[in-house]
Amino acid sequence: MNHPPQYPAAPGEGPRQLYLPNFCSASNVLIIILICELTALLLALARNEAALGFWSDLGLTSMFLLWIALCGAALLCLLRDYLSRQSVAVSAAMVLTMTVTLVTVVSAVTYYFGFGLLQDQHWSFLARNAGITFVVTALALRYFYVTHEWRHNVELQAKARVHALQARIRPHFLFNSMNTIAALTRSNPARAEEAVLDLAELFRANLNEKRGQIPLAEEIDVARTYQRMEQLRLGDRLRVDWKVDSLPTDALVPGLTLQPLLENAIYHGVEPRPGGGVVTVTGEFNKGMITIVVRNPVPLPSLTVRDGNRLALANIKERLGLMYGDRATVKAGRFDEEYIVTLRFPFTTSVADA
Amino acid sequence: MSLRVLIVDDEPPARERLSSMLAEAGDFVLAGEAGNGEQAIDMVDQLTPDIVLLDVRMPGIDGLEVARHLATLPAPPAVIFTTAFDEYALQAFDSEAVAYLLKPIRAEKLRAALAKAERLSRAQLQQVATATRTAAHRSHIGVRGRDGLRLIPIEEVFCFQADQKYTTVKHLKGEDLIEDSLKTLEEEFATNFVRIHRNALVNTKYLERIARDASGQHFVHLRGLPDALEVSRRMAGDLKDRFRI
Repeated sequence: MNHPPQYPAAPGEGPRQLYLPNFCSASNVLIIILICELTALLLALARNEAALGFWSDLGLTSMFLLWIALCGAALLCLLRDYLSRQSVAVSAAMVLTMTVTLVTVVSAVTYYFGFGLLQDQHWSFLARNAGITFVVTALALRYFYVTHEWRHNVELQAKARVHALQARIRPHFLFNSMNTIAALTRSNPARAEEAVLDLAELFRANLNEKRGQIPLAEEIDVARTYQRMEQLRLGDRLRVDWKVDSLPTDALVPGLTLQPLLENAIYHGVEPRPGGGVVTVTGEFNKGMITIVVRNPVPLPSLTVRDGNRLALANIKERLGLMYGDRATVKAGRFDEEYIVTLRFPFTTSVADA
Repeated sequence: MSLRVLIVDDEPPARERLSSMLAEAGDFVLAGEAGNGEQAIDMVDQLTPDIVLLDVRMPGIDGLEVARHLATLPAPPAVIFTTAFDEYALQAFDSEAVAYLLKPIRAEKLRAALAKAERLSRAQLQQVATATRTAAHRSHIGVRGRDGLRLIPIEEVFCFQADQKYTTVKHLKGEDLIEDSLKTLEEEFATNFVRIHRNALVNTKYLERIARDASGQHFVHLRGLPDALEVSRRMAGDLKDRFRI
């Protein structure tokens, strides 16, 4: 995959991936060996070969299967680039032909050096192995293809949601910011200039399609920029208490993770309150896990309730989940007079660790 | 004589910009600046401005609610709404205010709106106020006391009762005198209040039961209010049928 130079791409981007697993990776080779050994064990147990004894049978079957599997893996690893350029049907046909040929060759060699231990007829032995290989390979290909398609769909959906979130800059925020800038242009041109730069930065963060995962420091920067913009408008009604010094700045997070949470906290918890309020952002780093907590006061009950924006929260949950799986959690809820959102995810600095 | 303008906006930079534009607009003077809805209603009371530049979205009592309160005044000021973005409400703003302006506001649009407000006669302003009152009811009743304005949420009101001159509003936290007439209140709150007598309007949410005393007079009991209220004979049957009490 072609990664943009600075950050890994968001899921679903770049050229279509091959549906086959990567047989070049060490962990996959290990899994293959494990599957071979288990299959050999299964066959040895089922056969109860009296002539050879259990251990010899297991050893020979293992050797036979490992030869096939490792040669097959090596071939698939070498041909990976070539296969990924072919259509699904063509690559599947090639893999089938290749494995059947491989098994037939290995079977022939095994028969030749079989030391008469095999009671089968030569041709029948080859034909049976080729048949088994054909069926197993076909089933495996089907399985790989279906799971790959499923994962691909999940990624596409997640990508669509990122776009929905990006397109979601509240029009009110835009026009109010413009109004603030128009006011500052008269009274305080230097601050007006700052505000224009901040606004530009926020839009860049929101519009940048290439933003997949970014360092936490950068996301905190975007959130602080947002705070500065709102501060101009809301004055001392808005206070944000940042306690994030203990967080590793190079931890990777999906872009627009913290900023939408701060935006929601201000929109629901501070703006509707005549006296304003305090938003607290707390970061903790403990045993390889990062915890970020955003708290805001709940709006007063008698006042106009604003339309909720559950979209942002669901979206962040999904994208963190896509990046970190089960190890990432997002919790949100009302506790007494506060609304609290808690993000928890493992500390990583590269996608490979994730 | 130049017209006096009150600026209402919760955002300091927005007020600042409007007041400096107002200074350049010519024939208008700044009467004052309010930072929220309650303050705005209070300041209109005290300063009686001719024109109010009113932000629609504010914390607490929003601009629309302020406009509804101003519309109940005997001599309502000309209201000009200002808003950053409200896709759905723009048409309403047009009929319930003299004009609306979109932020950031252009100087010439502000001048045009102010000029329009200046041209309107008292009768035309009353017409806008009536349109505002009929479009939607207030969510709070304003009580003007010595300590300034207090707002009572309409859902906390048991009933309105009319004397010769004043109207009493009975609510969860006590009772107060207001200047609104029973007739205008009945029109405004037709959806959740019902007339039970020549001199009383009750919140249907609190209706409990109807009783009759020895003389044949009907009384209605409201949940949470100790004293029963007289019901006219004509209304008694009607109430029983409509509310199954």
